[in-house]
Amino acid sequence: MPFLAGIIVIVAIVVLFVIILIALYNSIVSLRNKVENAWHQIDVQLRKRYDLIPNLVETVKGYAAHEKETLQKVIEARNFGINAENVKDQAKAENMITSTLKSLFAVSENYPNLKADQHFSKLMEQLNGIESNIAFARQFYNDIVMQFNTRIQTFPGNMMAGVFKFQSKDYFEIEEPSAREPVKVKF
Amino acid sequence: MYEQIAKNRAASVITIIGFIIFIGFVGYAVGLILDYNYAVSGAYSITLLIFALAIACIASFFSYYYSDRIVISLTKARAITLDEDPRLYYMVEGLSIAAGLPMPKTYVIEEQGMNAFATGRNPKNSAVVFTRGLIDNLNDEELKGVISHELSHIKNYDILLGTVIVIFVGMLSIISNIIFRVFLFGGGSRRRSSSKGSGGGIFTIVILLIGVVLIIFSPIIGAVIRFAISRRREYLADSNGALISRYPAGLASALRKISSGSGVSTANSATAHLFIANPFTKKTRPLFGSLFNTHPPVEERIKRLEKMSLGVGM
Repeated sequence: MPFLAGIIVIVAIVVLFVIILIALYNSIVSLRNKVENAWHQIDVQLRKRYDLIPNLVETVKGYAAHEKETLQKVIEARNFGINAENVKDQAKAENMITSTLKSLFAVSENYPNLKADQHFSKLMEQLNGIESNIAFARQFYNDIVMQFNTRIQTFPGNMMAGVFKFQSKDYFEIEEPSAREPVKVKF
Repeated sequence: MYEQIAKNRAASVITIIGFIIFIGFVGYAVGLILDYNYAVSGAYSITLLIFALAIACIASFFSYYYSDRIVISLTKARAITLDEDPRLYYMVEGLSIAAGLPMPKTYVIEEQGMNAFATGRNPKNSAVVFTRGLIDNLNDEELKGVISHELSHIKNYDILLGTVIVIFVGMLSIISNIIFRVFLFGGGSRRRSSSKGSGGGIFTIVILLIGVVLIIFSPIIGAVIRFAISRRREYLADSNGALISRYPAGLASALRKISSGSGVSTANSATAHLFIANPFTKKTRPLFGSLFNTHPPVEERIKRLEKMSLGVGM
């Protein structure tokens, strides 16, 4: 009977439509969770660096005890980073740690015994490895944020996002303005 | 990329099924001959068919779940630790973060030839292996390029297909090796037994038959392996790897260095296709290896990577 066939077709179309909507919603949620996971991934690497710093400071103290000021600054920056509550503070702590570590490394150049120390070079290698992985974690975070933002900004995701109030996420950006300037090499 | 993953999974299933059918067929054919010879209808053929299918299924099971461990012990690879190889460890960790993959178990083959491969059935159960020569001779950007290439293979599920094939080809090589040894050294018994009766003669005929079948089928086996590694997959792994490392020139430079010395002594015809570059040297190239050797030409890979570097975007 054509009437019955018509109803079956309509029901089938509605079911298909609902399935598509569910799949779309799930893909948006799944991407959002990936973004959160990526952010925590950065945290994991940052934590590894925080854990490494006290060890590094102790080793340097053994050879360069009177560089107290520099060492103190590093510890302060590290503590500030660990206690950072929001993204803004964390970014600030990031800059502090980067610049204090830079001066610490510059200091170690004046102490050949320190540079020759096995423990110190091992710690520096670990520090470089972790810094590199922080960069990779940020790269992945930005990649996944781009995927998420694209999904909720383009059609049909934008309609779903409007209904369920999904918001675009922020990219991780370089806060330190000096990092954008060309590097000046002086001999 | 998702269609590539689906294609690889389908291809793995097809390969496993094809292998089981092939072994079953060989067993059944042998059984038919024995039936005819001993004039028993069906006894040998059915038993051997079931026996062959059972062996093929067990082999498939093992190849799916344990292939990564088997391949690693075949190539004599050793797991690395953060203490021993921090440079490699941090690079693999960082690039797997960038790729969104769990970090694969990392191994080293203590040889001077420069080569690498990835293995395992899915990203959670995966492993990457590098030779000492590769780690020592490549600079940071080049090593990152190679690691990213291997991680792409893991992400694309290329390695599932590749490792399944390792076990199958391995089994078939062992069987053909045994055939030829028996044929070469068992010639004397043939003369003796033909005067006694059909007992010994049938044995050699069976062996001969299996040998002939394998000779006929080895081009097909070679085609299967070619099907497994296919140039498209290698190029795709090259370009996906560049997306992870953001520096295609690194891999291009690495390939240039690798092509000059990629020999690995612990590789064989079963595992050769897994490596990033041909692991055979002029000396170690096996007799029947040329059928199975199907790495895409290095110059073409380098050209494509360099085009990527010059291009506007990815």
